[in-house]
Amino acid sequence: MSSVLHLNVVTRVHGEGATEVRALRDVSFRASAGELVAVMGPSGSGKSTLLTLAGGLDAPTSGTVSVEGVDLATLGNGGRARMRRTSIGYVFQDFNLIPALTAVENVALPLELDGVRTRTARAAARTALDEVGIGDLADRFPDHMSGGQQQRVAIARAVVGDRRLILADEPTGALDSETGEDILRLLRVRCDAGAAGVLVTHEARHAAWADRVVFLRDGVVIDETGTDAAEGLLESGVTR
Amino acid sequence: MSRPGAGRVTSWRLALRIAAREALRARGRSVLVLVMIALPVLAVTAADVLIQTQSVSSVEGLDRRLGSAAAQVVVPAEGRPMIQAFDPYDGNTSDGRKQEPPAAADISAALGGARLVVERTGGVDVRTDKGYASADSVEVDLRDPVAAGLVDLTSGRLPQDAGEVVVNRALLDKGYAVADRLDIRGKDAPSPVIVGVAESPELRTYPYVAGPVGSLGVSAAYAGGPTWLAAGGPVSWETVKDLNAMGATVLSRAVIEDPPPASEVPAEIRSWSSGSDNAVIAAVALVVVMALLEVVLLAGPAFAVSARRQSRSLALMAASGGTPAQTRRVVLAGGVVLGGAAAVLGVILGIGAGWLLVPVVQRWSSTWFGPFDVPWPHLLGVAAFGLASAVLAAVVPAVIASRQDVVAVLAGRRADRPPSARSPIAGVLLIGGAVAMAVFGTTSGDTGAFLIAGAAILAVLGMLFIVPVVVIGVARLAGRLPLSPRYAARDAARHRTRTVPAVAAVAATVAGVVALGIAVTSDEAENRGTYTPTLAMGQAAVTGYGLKPAKWDEIEDAVRREVPDADVELVLAAAGRGSSVQITAPHHRGPLLETMTENFGSSILVAGAVPSVVPGVSAADRARADEVLARGGVVAFTDDRVDDETAVVRRGHERVTVPAAYVRFTAGSYPPLAAIVPPAVAERLGAETSTGALAVTGTDISATQQENLSEAISAVSRNAGFYVERGYQADQGTKIVQLVLAGLGAVLMLGGTLTATFLALSDARPDLATLSAVGASPRRRRGVAASYALVVGFVGAVLGAVVGFIPGLAITVPLTAPAYSDTGPFLDVPWLMILGLVVGLPLVTALIVGLSTRSRLPMVARLE
Amino acid sequence: MSVKQALLALLEQGPRYGYQLRAEFEQRTGSTWPLNVGQVYTTLTRLERDGLVEADGADGEGHVIYRVTAAGREEVAAWFTTPVPRTQPPRDELAIKLALAVTMPGVDVGSVIQQQRSATMAALQDYTRLKRDGGNDLAWGLVLDSLVFAAEAEIRWLDHCEARLRRAALEKPAVPAPVDAPEVAR
Repeated sequence: MSSVLHLNVVTRVHGEGATEVRALRDVSFRASAGELVAVMGPSGSGKSTLLTLAGGLDAPTSGTVSVEGVDLATLGNGGRARMRRTSIGYVFQDFNLIPALTAVENVALPLELDGVRTRTARAAARTALDEVGIGDLADRFPDHMSGGQQQRVAIARAVVGDRRLILADEPTGALDSETGEDILRLLRVRCDAGAAGVLVTHEARHAAWADRVVFLRDGVVIDETGTDAAEGLLESGVTR
Repeated sequence: MSRPGAGRVTSWRLALRIAAREALRARGRSVLVLVMIALPVLAVTAADVLIQTQSVSSVEGLDRRLGSAAAQVVVPAEGRPMIQAFDPYDGNTSDGRKQEPPAAADISAALGGARLVVERTGGVDVRTDKGYASADSVEVDLRDPVAAGLVDLTSGRLPQDAGEVVVNRALLDKGYAVADRLDIRGKDAPSPVIVGVAESPELRTYPYVAGPVGSLGVSAAYAGGPTWLAAGGPVSWETVKDLNAMGATVLSRAVIEDPPPASEVPAEIRSWSSGSDNAVIAAVALVVVMALLEVVLLAGPAFAVSARRQSRSLALMAASGGTPAQTRRVVLAGGVVLGGAAAVLGVILGIGAGWLLVPVVQRWSSTWFGPFDVPWPHLLGVAAFGLASAVLAAVVPAVIASRQDVVAVLAGRRADRPPSARSPIAGVLLIGGAVAMAVFGTTSGDTGAFLIAGAAILAVLGMLFIVPVVVIGVARLAGRLPLSPRYAARDAARHRTRTVPAVAAVAATVAGVVALGIAVTSDEAENRGTYTPTLAMGQAAVTGYGLKPAKWDEIEDAVRREVPDADVELVLAAAGRGSSVQITAPHHRGPLLETMTENFGSSILVAGAVPSVVPGVSAADRARADEVLARGGVVAFTDDRVDDETAVVRRGHERVTVPAAYVRFTAGSYPPLAAIVPPAVAERLGAETSTGALAVTGTDISATQQENLSEAISAVSRNAGFYVERGYQADQGTKIVQLVLAGLGAVLMLGGTLTATFLALSDARPDLATLSAVGASPRRRRGVAASYALVVGFVGAVLGAVVGFIPGLAITVPLTAPAYSDTGPFLDVPWLMILGLVVGLPLVTALIVGLSTRSRLPMVARLE
Repeated sequence: MSVKQALLALLEQGPRYGYQLRAEFEQRTGSTWPLNVGQVYTTLTRLERDGLVEADGADGEGHVIYRVTAAGREEVAAWFTTPVPRTQPPRDELAIKLALAVTMPGVDVGSVIQQQRSATMAALQDYTRLKRDGGNDLAWGLVLDSLVFAAEAEIRWLDHCEARLRRAALEKPAVPAPVDAPEVAR
């Protein structure tokens, strides 16, 4: 199975001396195409750091981060930005839509930033919105949408342009459990369709949507479950 | 709340405390506001300090004018009783019948037997290497104790007798040294020896000479009347009035230092000064209002952002029972805190800047400044202006904050309310009022200019109400734009409390510049349109009147010396008064020319062809005239078309009838002569000819040559001058005014745009973080910033240009069509400048903003 | 016990015989609680004794058909409107295990917790997968949700245990309480 995301013995240290904080210590991590991996841990365990490293928003102190086989450290700031527009999709807890842009414009954003013609970008964005089930809200501004609708827009933005790595940071944190589940279902569908997904959460119920759950404690991976996605499907009985 | 008064005090104290903390926390924004308000306060304070220091008040100038005397008494030539202000320089006039002027003894008696020392002030011309230089002069016995302080001896000694003088450094710089004889122009002028260098307490770079009575040959009459310095006891206002009755004016130390009540100033004198006061007050009021408006608009966005940043705390305050008034107070307190700090800072720094600048400015000034002067009452006003502008800038954000939708704020929605539908109507009404006021202003004479300026303010205020609608309109149209401008336009429309004042500030600036620009160029158009050439274009000539032939020879030598390549042609004129030769047309009644000047020494030139220097003659007319002159005929200039072929030329009883060409001057030139007669006719009439002018032809004359020749000629005679017709020359001052206008406009526009843009950028942090996360390259921040600047600058500039036309067009009417003249009104719109303002400046501003923005996106994945 | 009320509730939908009841129960609850036919008939006899159901003849194959009585309907209504009493915490074994583990020297409580957490998480993943594949069957979905939330609660409880252990280890370093990550969470 090909790894879309590969963190190899990554360490990230914030600060120096007395204030030194090791957010991640020698973490190795993979996410493959068609796989949704959940990263679980309490606050301060390093899960958000892992995600910012994976998205190239931050650089590791040591170790390498590769996306689709490309070591992010070899790219410049601009190259990493291009990576985020073409290969990596981000979904945040608080949606992070730009309120001055309509839903379709928000979704078209990565494409437009990549220089795709506005018309083409919008057409692709509309398709992406249809896929997440809110094609009819395309021309609304985020302020006029519910939280669940906004998060759908954010997911559409994360997947538009056929991106193969979706990084979701507590995407359901601000939603009620039912809406949150819909969002997870969407993520799941995208991964089943071939994308690699990394879902950072502190809620077991959400992590359970993943094929694999990685437990982080104090910057260290302490355990992993469900290493094989196919295996779990066979035992449909109650195990305890 | 049970004690409303106490409650308000507490509430203000709380509000001020919150505001002070907020100001400390948001340092960048606070500094921005501080700078924006402190800078004008600083500038005005420094200027005021400089002006007050530079100007020498009556009290400060006493020693300069009186030395150590108790009073200076002048007996003007009127020979009538006088009335005067406390300081006769501030106003004096004669009143009553002619009477015998008082003698020194009478004056001394009136002053209680004071000793009088004769003083004669005036001016002399002293010879220099190039020609003559003017110098201020005073004749007084400098060694008399009463004269102590009139001059400040720096080297040498004071003159002892009428053959000696002291001069200042500026006069020495003209080519004299101590022990030289001073060469004073004038037939019987003395030539005293310079025995010392003494500075005038007043004049710094202007030549000055002082010596005992008689040393400079200044006549008492020329000096404005007999003058004495009186040594004796204090001279009271009563004594001054007594001397006035005798026909003298008095500068009394005692009166100036301790003036009687203002009501003692005679009514006639008082009315003098109040006449111009209203206009000055109106002008100052206009300037203050405009400046206040500009500062308020510039600082407004900062308070809007501040109020929005606080909106959550304010909403929580409201949710826990705070009244709208309390909310308002918190935001207003921000204005009080920052405005107060800025005002104090501005005044203190302004005084410091003034103090530092005094020696610098002194170097540029020809007179000595008074003592360092801090005009506290003025500065209090200036500080109040600073405070008021900050508080006013906070008013709209405060009102909006107090009305905010608590639920929406707590739910985290961050947009402004939709604009009121009534506001654009109010704006249109205000602008309509402004147009009406401006139109009325064009027809109401002297007060028109003020009405029009008032209309400008009204129009800008009206525009304020329209800006939100325009901004929203732009956002609606932005859908098709590329990402950065689309984002900028929409974000600008979402945050109108921040955008509108910034746009309005730019618009107000542009409106002002456009209005003044139209005024200045139209004024310039009037100057050009009413320009009368003295000579034909490109010609140069020496003209003079009443000069003896020997002087003309001297002048010709000077011309050949200074402009060796030139040909010198004598332009002959009929000697004596022009009226001695008269020309009439047989079939024309009335004078041929209504008015005329005598540019060439006489109204009638004697020449075989039209001299090339004569202006305002078309080529065809010139050929026709030359042909007639060649046939022995005359050329007569006329106002109207005359079809006669002949003219009757008379001088005394002599009279001839000769062929004639009647020529009209081209439009826009003022007739410089009446006729040209050929030498033969002049001879037949027995008219003497003399040199009227020297035409200097055959070469281009440089500015330096012109200057040198002018100086050389003025050394020969005061009544001769050299002129080169270069066509209409735009006044250097006008160009400078235009440049300053453009510069000021650019600076203010840049200021307004930069403020709004950087506030917007700091506000847009979450959006920029999102952009970064979805893969915007770091340069995108620049693109967004530049787009923001473009939106603010462009919308502001277009609105401002439109609004600026209202007062701009109106002001040209009173400006270029004065009631006493039948020309104009002239209208010249500086399209290039306006285009530059509306299109060029926003683009340049956007470029500057784009380049000065850090190209770094906030790298935060999640914002708490 | 709720089997009684569950059978009553099914009978309220219409008369059925024993085997039918068992099949229907299993289908609706997704075989989460297996029932044997004997248990069904015992329960039906008890219900008939209490006057909540009555036999209503037999079908052609000799199955006795039961129908609900008026008293039975009341019982069903009461069941649906009465909250389930919280008796006997179901995780007693785990709780006892942990309680013993902390007091016995030489047991790595941290790994006990983590092992349990991994197991529960695996179960949770299974439930979620079932839910994902379960389509639109609401009844089945609700049952799965109950399991999901129960498992989640267990994991949260384990997290909480872990946090408490860490704090205890910090406060009393002498007590051996080895945890995977000795460093303190920020």
